[in-house]
Parts: sequence; C-alpha cells; structure tokens
Amino acid sequence: MLVTPKDWPSVLLPKKPAADPVDLDAAIAAEAFSALRMAIRDLGPTGTIAAIGASGLRGRGGAGYPAADKWRTASSTPAAERIVVANGYGSDPSTTTDHVLMERNPYAVIEGLAIAALAIGAGEAIIAIRATAEAAVRTMETAIAATQEAGLIGPDTFGQGRHLDMSVRTVQGAYLLGEETILLKALEGKRGQPEQRPPHPASSGLRGLPTVVHNVQTLAAIPWIISNGSEAYAKIGARDCPGTMLVQVRGPEATGIAEVPMGTPLRKIVDLVGSGARPVKAVLVGGPSGGILPPDALDVPYTFAGLRAAGAHVGSGSVIVADDRVCIVDLARVLTRYCADEACGKTIPCRIGTRRLSEIGDRLAAGTSRAGDLDLLTDLAADIVGSALCDHERLATLPLVSGMRYFRAELDEHLERSSCPAGVCHPIAMTASATH
Amino acid sequence: MSLIPGLGLARGMALTLRRFFQPKATIRYPEVQADIPPRFRGRLQLLYDEYGTLKCETCFQCAQACPIECIDMGGMDTKGRFHVHWGAAETYGERREESALRRSGRPVPDPAYTPFEGLDVGPVDAILEGFDHDPAHLLAILEGVQAHYGYLPVAALKRISQTTGTWYAQIYGTASYYAHLRFDPPVVAGDAPRSPDAPGTSRPGDASYLAGLGASLTGRPGGDA
Ligand SMILES: Cc1cc2nc3c(=O)[nH]c(=O)nc-3n(C[C@H](O)[C@H](O)[C@H](O)COP(=O)(O)O)c2cc1C
Ligand code: SF4
Ligand code: FES
Repeated sequence: MLVTPKDWPSVLLPKKPAADPVDLDAAIAAEAFSALRMAIRDLGPTGTIAAIGASGLRGRGGAGYPAADKWRTASSTPAAERIVVANGYGSDPSTTTDHVLMERNPYAVIEGLAIAALAIGAGEAIIAIRATAEAAVRTMETAIAATQEAGLIGPDTFGQGRHLDMSVRTVQGAYLLGEETILLKALEGKRGQPEQRPPHPASSGLRGLPTVVHNVQTLAAIPWIISNGSEAYAKIGARDCPGTMLVQVRGPEATGIAEVPMGTPLRKIVDLVGSGARPVKAVLVGGPSGGILPPDALDVPYTFAGLRAAGAHVGSGSVIVADDRVCIVDLARVLTRYCADEACGKTIPCRIGTRRLSEIGDRLAAGTSRAGDLDLLTDLAADIVGSALCDHERLATLPLVSGMRYFRAELDEHLERSSCPAGVCHPIAMTASATH
Repeated sequence: MSLIPGLGLARGMALTLRRFFQPKATIRYPEVQADIPPRFRGRLQLLYDEYGTLKCETCFQCAQACPIECIDMGGMDTKGRFHVHWGAAETYGERREESALRRSGRPVPDPAYTPFEGLDVGPVDAILEGFDHDPAHLLAILEGVQAHYGYLPVAALKRISQTTGTWYAQIYGTASYYAHLRFDPPVVAGDAPRSPDAPGTSRPGDASYLAGLGASLTGRPGGDA
C-alpha cells in the first residue's frame, strides 16, 4: 500500500489492516455483517436499492454504470431465479487491486454480494476469480466457508426460508474473461466471446436468468454505504462519481496500491509515486487499453467521465508513470499489439480492425509508415469504435489515438524522418533489415 | 446502329414495361423475410483477403452454429500438410495457415493422418459423472481431463461429446479458446512441460506483455516490429 494523504477516506480497505482477514469473529467485532442485517430487517429489497441509488455508487469494473440501475433492471425482470456474480477476475496483468481487496477484506465482498442478492431477489451468488490468483481464491473460499458455518449465509439467509448459495468459481485462460458477457460464457463452459447487448446480463445473463455482475470493489463498498448512509458516501469524492477506488500506481522507482477518492486530480495520484530523478513524460491510465496522457493534461479528475473526455479511461484502475526514457510510439505499439493479440476474433472490428491498428503502430516504429497512415489510423479507430461488439475493441484504439492526440510531434518524427527522438526505436536500421 | 432510328430504345422500353408488370423478386428485407425452405443452409464459401490469405480464422462460430455439424475447421500445419480435427481429410481442400490456434501462440497439434491413440476413458467417465454429464460444466470437465492425462486426448473429447450430447465442434471450439488447455502431451525430456496457467504463474501472453511494457518504459524497444 502507498502512503496517502490523511484526509483520504478508506471505504474499501481498512486503514489498519486486520491481523487475520479471514478471522470471522474479529470481522464481526469490526461491524461486518451488520449492514446485511440492516438491509434484511430494516430496508428490504426496495429500500436497499433506493439507498444504493441515493449513494450514487457506480460500478468499478471500468464502465462506471450506476449500480442501482442494474439492480432495478434485474429485479423488475420476471424470472424464477436471479444470480449475482462478483467479477474478481482482474484481467489486467499489471494490476492486482481486485485480488488484494479479496485477500485483505474478504468479508466486505461477501457481505456486499449478499446485500446485492437480497436486493434483486437472487438465490445464487458466484465469485469468479482468476485461477492463478491463488491467495485470493484461498481467502475467499475460507471466508465463505466460515460465513456459512456461522449461519450468516445459507439456507435461511434472508429469513422465511429464502436461501443464498455462494461459491467461488475459478476461471482462466484469456485476458478477455474479465468482460462481463465473456465471463458469463466461461462460467457456462463456453468459448470466451462476448454477446450482443441488449439484452444486458441484468435482464438475461447466466443460463438466461437476470444476472447482476459487479466488480469486487463495487460490492465491497456496499456494506459501508448501508452502515454509514447514502449521504455519507455521496459526500466522498466527486459529485457525479462519489466514493473511492483502489488504484495501482506504478512509477519508475516506486509502485503500490492506493485507495483514491474519485475525482482526485490525476496529478495527485501520479505524485504518490513520482517519476524519480527524471521528468514525467507520459502517464498511461487504464491498463493495456489505456490512454497515454502528457504532463500538462494531469489536472483531469480521476472519474469515469473525466478520463474518457481526456482520451483515457479508468479501466483496470492502473496508472503507470513513464519518465523521459519512454518512446510514445513504442509504448502505444506494445499496448496495441497486446490488445490485438487478445481480441477474441468474433467480429470484424475485433478480428481485423485491431490487427490493422497494431500494424500501423509497427510501421511507425519501424520507419516504414506509408503516407496517410495517420489518416488511416483516425478513420480506422472511428470505424472500430462505431461498429465494435464489445468494449475491448473500442478501448484498444486508445493508446494510438491518445498518442496521436498528445504527442503528434513525436509521431511525425517517426513518420516523416524515420527517426525516434527518444532513441528507442531504430527505425532506419529496422527498415534495412525488415524482411517480412 | 439500327436502321430504324429509336428501335433499340423502343426495345429497351418494352423490356422495362414487361418487367414492370411481372411479379417482383425483390423483398423489403429485413421487414419482409423470404420464405426459405426449412432445410436450406446456404452455400459455404471461403473468401480471401487482399493479401491472398483465407479470411476464415478458424473461430468455430459457424461450426458451433451449424445444426447438422457439416462444418468443421482444420489448419495447415507448419510443414504444409493437413491436419484434421474431425471429418474426412478430403473434405477440406483449403485451410487457413494462420489459424486462430496459431495466433494463440500455441503450436497446432499435428496428429495429421495418424489415428488418435486408444485411451482408457474410464477416468473421463468418472469426471463426467462428477459433473452429472452437464455440458454447462464443460470447462471444469476439460480441466479435469487435462489434469488427469496432462493434455486433452482426442478420444477423451469424443467421449465427452458422446456422453453429454455436445457437438464435437463446440467442445473443440471451447477447448481451443482457452490458453491453458492443450491438445498435445507436455514435452518431457529436458523441456519443461508447458503449463501456462499453473497456479502462481502468468499466461505466456501476459508474461510477454509485461516484459514488453517493462522494456518500453525503460527506453528499450518492447518487442519486434
Ligand atoms: C476487455 C474488458 C476486460 C474487463 N475486465 C474486467 C475485470 O477484470 N474485472 C472487472 O470487474 N470488470 C472487467 N470489465 C468490465 C466488465 O465488463 C463489467 O463491466 C464489470 O464487471 C461490471 O461491474 P461493475 O458494475 O461493478 O462495473 C472488463 C471489460 C472489458 C471490456
Ligand atoms: S470459423 Fe469463423 S472465420 Fe471461419 S468461416 Fe466459420 S465463422 Fe467464419
Ligand atoms: S474482443 Fe472480439 S468482439 Fe470484442
């Protein structure tokens, strides 16, 4: 954990870490499961949804969709059964925030999931975790077992014999599994490819049942909101996007996780790690499909809408600070290549669009660009954004497009003079040896 | 040039007039849908892109959708020979060299024409039993089979297909999507067995991304152009 300013609140991770996060008695002594009791006894499903709605909680999985809206859709869709899924996949290989949350505060996730289940009338709750995140899997399994043993969740969770089955499911094998419709496919034992929306999972998801999928951070905020009140939560962070989020900040010399109030200027987040002895040249915000922002764009507030307007996105909650050694073209190319490699192949923008994007990046780096490549990039990116099936392709355009928006001079050096100001790409040498 | 001026024009107009009163073949799709015989499935045609490579990605979308399982995929192996997953080799004249399989960074299995090895499917049955033969647990079933045999033998996949009633193409389609599932036995002598998603390790794709990112951030090229 990074040291953060004293006035930053902690909602998701306690300021003082629990000695043993899976110790249920200690957790209950620290008020765990009192929110669930309150939601069952005092609020009921409608009151709970209203409380979450009033808090302004937005999903932390990347898109920032209001949580209560999903709940209303799911609870108003007629169905025999409903399901809640905690998305603990953590698809960005450079980020561990979701896994760390599950390891350090498992009962908040479990309680949030149970409250969401109560609110929408679900009898089944699944926590999907990446199989390689062993510690998170172990912690969650132990914590669920302890909760069931204590009778807090199980055959009569919500009274009147209404049960709640909660289980951990491990999934693995692709970056895209974090996307909700793909995650549901994996849970059904199918190829990991996205589905057309609508219908959204909230009305037709796992096995065709209304399914609410939330990031684990979204869920972990819910008990806090119920216990401390919607107004208290709405006061934290930005007005249009309240609350906190776990951000993985990585600089040339320091790296760590910080719980950041939404709306904090990006510069303050960058300052948590700094850039060491060298000056900041660029900040990559959002993970592999993130936007690359220059130092003078760092006043942007860390919110879903703010970052999107700046050409980046919240994404996996990753903020990577690059000093002046980095070449923007090379960085954008590495990111785009990964996004293209991970695209599932289901649709044309995904299968061919992302690959052509990646080739444009490769040509820039190799000094073999063709005239009009940047126009092609602009057109192609717009086409992909306009016709994509899932967000992966849309977001995959961000590294190159933000690079072009903010670092045009550096791109032009590559394009027009086949030279790399940062001295990273060896465009001319590569032109001579490029044989493919 | 005709002798009578305007004859060509008149002929043309006559044709227009005749067509005008004929029943129309055009329908206002998609508002109006053609009356297609129930068993009509259209004709399969593989298209090429501007570089002359097949556009088919071996993504298994069509194979999974085909209700009578007449579609299946295969790919040319690196030696330029056919390998076939299912069905008679001669059915598949054209194969995409750069299949989705290969793009996934995994060598395409090469059982070429060799019949798949016989297998004691007892353990497969036990695994299937544990999941109630329910194809909704296909991923867990495949993971269980791989944990037992070290890879996914063709005979085991066929057994899963038979006993769960799931199309082979769908099973293959699922298995080929996930990077941690493999179709060939782990290489033994000297070579470390490939187990990409062994607990605590990262996927090969993720590892090379992290290496590329790390290089790029410290001023070295993050991979070949
Ligand atoms: C390519 C891609 C990867 C994603 N990976 C994750 C992930 O690892 N974890 C996650 O919670 N959401 C991820 N999402 C977002 C999910 O699709 C979904 O929006 C989210 O789980 C919903 O939860 P929320 O309402 O709490 O935001 C991803 C989306 C895309 C397009
Ligand atoms: S496998 Fe996929 S790419 Fe190939 S023909 Fe079928 S649907 Fe098209
Ligand atoms: S990644 Fe293939 S459709 Fe989105």
